[in-house]
Amino acid sequence: MVTLTIDRGLKDSVYEQVAGQVRQLVASGTLAPGTPLPSVRQLASDVGVNLNTIARAYRLLEAEGFLAIKDRAGVFVAAPAVRAKTTVKKELQNQLSVTIARLRQAGVSHDELLALVEREVSVISDQPPEASK
Amino acid sequence: MTESTLVNLFLIIRVFLIGGLLLALPHIMRKGLMFGVYIGEGTAKGDSASQLLHSWRHGCVLVMVLALGVGLGISAAGWPVAGNLTGTAVLLCSALALYLRLYAKARKLIPPEAARQAQKTVVSLDVGRSRGQPFARATLAICLITSLLLILYAVASYRVMPDLVPALSGTGPMSEKVFIDTIYFPVLALVVSSLFSLLALFTAGAKRSLRDGTGSYSAEAQDAFQLFFTKLLCWIAILFCALLTLISVQIVRVGLSATNWIGHEIWWAPGILVIFMLIGLIRIMRKYGQGGSFREYGSAETPLTGALADNDHWVLGLFYFNRDDSSIMVESRFGVGYTLNYANSTAILFTVTYLVLTIGLAALGLVRVLS
Repeated sequence: MVTLTIDRGLKDSVYEQVAGQVRQLVASGTLAPGTPLPSVRQLASDVGVNLNTIARAYRLLEAEGFLAIKDRAGVFVAAPAVRAKTTVKKELQNQLSVTIARLRQAGVSHDELLALVEREVSVISDQPPEASK
Repeated sequence: MTESTLVNLFLIIRVFLIGGLLLALPHIMRKGLMFGVYIGEGTAKGDSASQLLHSWRHGCVLVMVLALGVGLGISAAGWPVAGNLTGTAVLLCSALALYLRLYAKARKLIPPEAARQAQKTVVSLDVGRSRGQPFARATLAICLITSLLLILYAVASYRVMPDLVPALSGTGPMSEKVFIDTIYFPVLALVVSSLFSLLALFTAGAKRSLRDGTGSYSAEAQDAFQLFFTKLLCWIAILFCALLTLISVQIVRVGLSATNWIGHEIWWAPGILVIFMLIGLIRIMRKYGQGGSFREYGSAETPLTGALADNDHWVLGLFYFNRDDSSIMVESRFGVGYTLNYANSTAILFTVTYLVLTIGLAALGLVRVLS
């Protein structure tokens, strides 16, 4: 059973925690493409938050390509894109550059950075997009 | 058997039934919870918690002896009905006093980490867990349609009734037809059956408070309990609807002179309803425990989260009041079942509406019987 842990004691808002954890679960392959997710109403009721909070997280994940929201059928995990769009790739590369620069500035060494990236990549599902379709 | 012996027998059965249920409560308690307080799974295994349970058992026996002593004493003085009512009142009031005493003691056992656990909420991403919702919706629809048809039947029948109808109460054989008497039981059917159906619907969608870390057993246990409790409420709603429909139709038929009397056999139906509710309660106590705690297995050692771990938003451990929680219903922290979130506008509207309707109908019934 896949669970999310929402912690109101953290500085991240509930919608950021939901989005962040679903992102990780999809990237790691724990949530396979096509897996249905609870409706906005159901998840909002379980977490005990307003419908808009969960709707916001789902909309963000849909925009990022992690989820597919079909009006009547519900919410599903989306399959990874076969080929990255140039604009999306560039935008994310910029974000990565900023994150790496901030890590370096925060005192993380070159080797530590490489190890960090390697670890993050290793937890991502290596299933090719075509196979998971 | 004299009337006084029968009244005393009812008191003895009631005291042993309620007292027995109270005595059984510590056996079904969810690990970490004690008298409406989250004291943590570790503390629940300690000596202080054991002492509280010991006090509860002794207290319950004392409460039963006190209720029987007062009730039967008043009855022996020549007032059996007053003895029955006073004995029941003593039982309930002293049990509440015992609970509040132990609730206050349990609050002193709250560990510092409990506040941290209350900020966490573990939710499952499994879909289709609310398996009870379609059944609850169908029950609500059946009860509403049946009750509304029953009201229409009563209103239509009232118009063709003669001015003088056989009396259902009082000494005279005939009495004037009264609209309220004809419509009373159909309206009661609507109110009671819709109350239980709506409670079933809220229960089916009630918020779960899963255990931290190993949520799998915890989720399955709570799902199974939630489904059973929803179905139990649905069947109670259906049985109430059927019973009150039966009584309503018979009262109308008496008014229409289609039958002479509503029939003594009809009064067996409430007995069946009480037995059904009792069997449901015993099944919960034997098979599920508080909120399905008997099925938590290994996960019962991990800490609770959410509403169950939250010591700040419960009033006396019985009433949940949390403005930051959008849930209508959550699991109770004491006893079995679920409770409303009294900070939720739907829950407030539901409570006020049914309180007004119940008090109004009870008062109206009393006025009609006395007149």
